[in-house]
Amino acid sequence: MLTISNLKKSFSSGAGDVTAVKDVSFEARSGEMVAIIGPSGSGKSTLLSLLGLLDAPDSGSLSLDGKELASLSESERTHFRAKQVGFVFQQFNLIPNLTARENVMLSLEFANYPKAQRAARAEEMLTMVGLTGDKANRRPAKLSGGEQQRVAIARAFANQPPLILADEPTGSLDRATGQRIVALLRATATTQDATVLVVTHDESVAKQADRRLEIEDGVLREIA
Amino acid sequence: MNAITRGVKNTFRNSIRTVGIVAILTVAIALSISMLVARDAVNKKIESVRASTGNTISVSPAGFFGFSGGGTPLTTTQISDISSIRHVTSVTSTLTQRLTSSDTSLTAPTPSGSLGGQFSGGFGGSGGFPGGSSGTFTPPVRVVGTTTPGQALVGGANGGGTETLVSGSSFSGTSTADVAIVGKTLASTNSLKVGSTFTAWNTKITVIGIYNAQSTFANSDVLMPLATVQKLSGNANDVDSATVYVDSVDNVSAVQAKIKAQLGSAADVTNAQQQAEQQLAPLNSVKTISTYTLLGTVVGAGIILLLSMLMIVRERRREIGVLKALGAKSSSVMRQFIAEATTFTLLGSFFGFLIGIVLANPITSTLVTNASSSSSSGFSRDGGFPGGGFPGGSLPGGGSSGGFHFGARGFGHAITSVQTSIGFSTLLVALLIALLVAAVGSSVAVANIARVRPAEVLRSE
Ligand SMILES: Nc1ncnc2c1ncn2[C@@H]1O[C@H](COP(=O)(O)OP(=O)(O)OP(=O)(O)O)[C@@H](O)[C@H]1O
Ligand SMILES: [Mg+2]
Repeated sequence: MLTISNLKKSFSSGAGDVTAVKDVSFEARSGEMVAIIGPSGSGKSTLLSLLGLLDAPDSGSLSLDGKELASLSESERTHFRAKQVGFVFQQFNLIPNLTARENVMLSLEFANYPKAQRAARAEEMLTMVGLTGDKANRRPAKLSGGEQQRVAIARAFANQPPLILADEPTGSLDRATGQRIVALLRATATTQDATVLVVTHDESVAKQADRRLEIEDGVLREIA
Repeated sequence: MNAITRGVKNTFRNSIRTVGIVAILTVAIALSISMLVARDAVNKKIESVRASTGNTISVSPAGFFGFSGGGTPLTTTQISDISSIRHVTSVTSTLTQRLTSSDTSLTAPTPSGSLGGQFSGGFGGSGGFPGGSSGTFTPPVRVVGTTTPGQALVGGANGGGTETLVSGSSFSGTSTADVAIVGKTLASTNSLKVGSTFTAWNTKITVIGIYNAQSTFANSDVLMPLATVQKLSGNANDVDSATVYVDSVDNVSAVQAKIKAQLGSAADVTNAQQQAEQQLAPLNSVKTISTYTLLGTVVGAGIILLLSMLMIVRERRREIGVLKALGAKSSSVMRQFIAEATTFTLLGSFFGFLIGIVLANPITSTLVTNASSSSSSGFSRDGGFPGGGFPGGSLPGGGSSGGFHFGARGFGHAITSVQTSIGFSTLLVALLIALLVAAVGSSVAVANIARVRPAEVLRSE
């Protein structure tokens, strides 16, 4: 269970302060997939960075399964990211000189997953997202965009985090591939019992979610 | 795979850049090692020369010009006054004379080879003897009257080592007998044996011994008691060179000052230490050059690595953000980049070391030879001749080349025979240098890693 209340974050830039997230409150259950939609610059990515503890909010509270997270120190946030959060990015963000399997093992390493089981677990995850055979041994450059995003999903879910954050996961893919990737996210959320938040511009992606939230100028509201 | 392995692996991520960085580091480290070896070798040589120059002071008449004479001789009285100075343990004196064919029955051995040519060229050039080609020129026989047979020809342009008797016996320092010990080259030219006689200054001289002083030049001389030479040559009381032994190195300069005060402008008084320092000047400059080059290359290597690592960190900023977003600690990402910088350095060290070892010897000898020849006139004046050399600037410009060329060669050869070797300590220093380069090279770049915010990964480029 993810609980957010009155979250606020602003940035000071040369032209003055920009409040990217003004006053955001919502809850999301585990196993649930929530879509966040909104125009460019409305604060979607900023909200995700707060939820994933990539950044600290100016005020408000944020808790996962009852544990308060807004006040954690830098190193506690790092530990939390390693254990409790999985990220999926628009640009895939795989490490280019590591194979698909090594990329998945990377998040297992940071989460302190037992060393001896990392390779087998990575293999299992890659099979689950539909990457089989020698593709596990290929570097990202030798995989299609859709395949790379599958590797990223395998990497995000590998150590079974309760929270998955995806920022425009279909943004770099064609429509059909994008649909399959969202279906995969949806299915994995259920099987792994994780909360999945997906930021998207794409209505057809948003339709696959259990709930839809719209953000505009840093203010979030539920869409029926 | 951990951070270290990833770092090592990243070293080979861009092969062209890897080759470039490693090549530059290789050159820098090869140069550092050569300089380190050159410095060590030259240092050792300097130490050994310093250690071998003892507590002696050379006294010669002012203006005395090697073989060709010049200046007013010192007197036996002056020498015995020196003996009574405090801290002086002993004084040995020589009077060198030349016997031309009208004065003696002896024939000087004909100098041969290039050294001989330079030798006779030297006579011609210095003006003391008729010049001319070495083929037709017959040098006179040199007679050294000495109070220390056995030590009379040591060092300098005499080219000799200690004279060792190969047969017969020697004379005592105070002897006045008409006896001589002759060099083995001269002996064989004139078919002299122990007991043979020859004439000099119309007097019959008996050969009582034959010596070997390790050089053809020094082996062409005749050694006789000082008093005998003074008497026969009509130079009673004259001395043209004296070596003063002082009880301790610490007292050398005090004694030197006293001797100068006693003799005034009549004599040039120099001590071996000062001569050695002048002789060592070229080596010292090699030492300075190699020290600065060493520093320069180490700093250069550090800067190259630093800039490369800065470039690499900047280029992989997003990747650093991804690693952090995935939960990597800053320290682990830093370790990864330090491993990368260290791998570059180790590769550069490996190749640099191989090349450095190969280059060390030629570089050292080139440095030493160049430094020595560029200042050869400077040290050959002082080092090349017995009795403390020439007063500065008195060497006639044009004709001098033959003369001091010999000095430069004879002496220069000894000082340039610098031995290079790569010892354990050199290796250790080299390793420390490599680590220093790696540390400096990665520190600034690695500091930048801490500043990369993981939230940046959510920003589109
Ligand atoms: N690090 C930052 N420094 C200054 N301003 C920032 C920073 N990050 C975000 N902003 C500002 O906050 C606002 C929200 O940005 P954000 O990236 O969250 O928007 P977004 O909804 O993700 O847009 P897009 O759909 O284009 O990705 C924007 O006005 C942006 O300029
Ligand atoms: Mg965004």
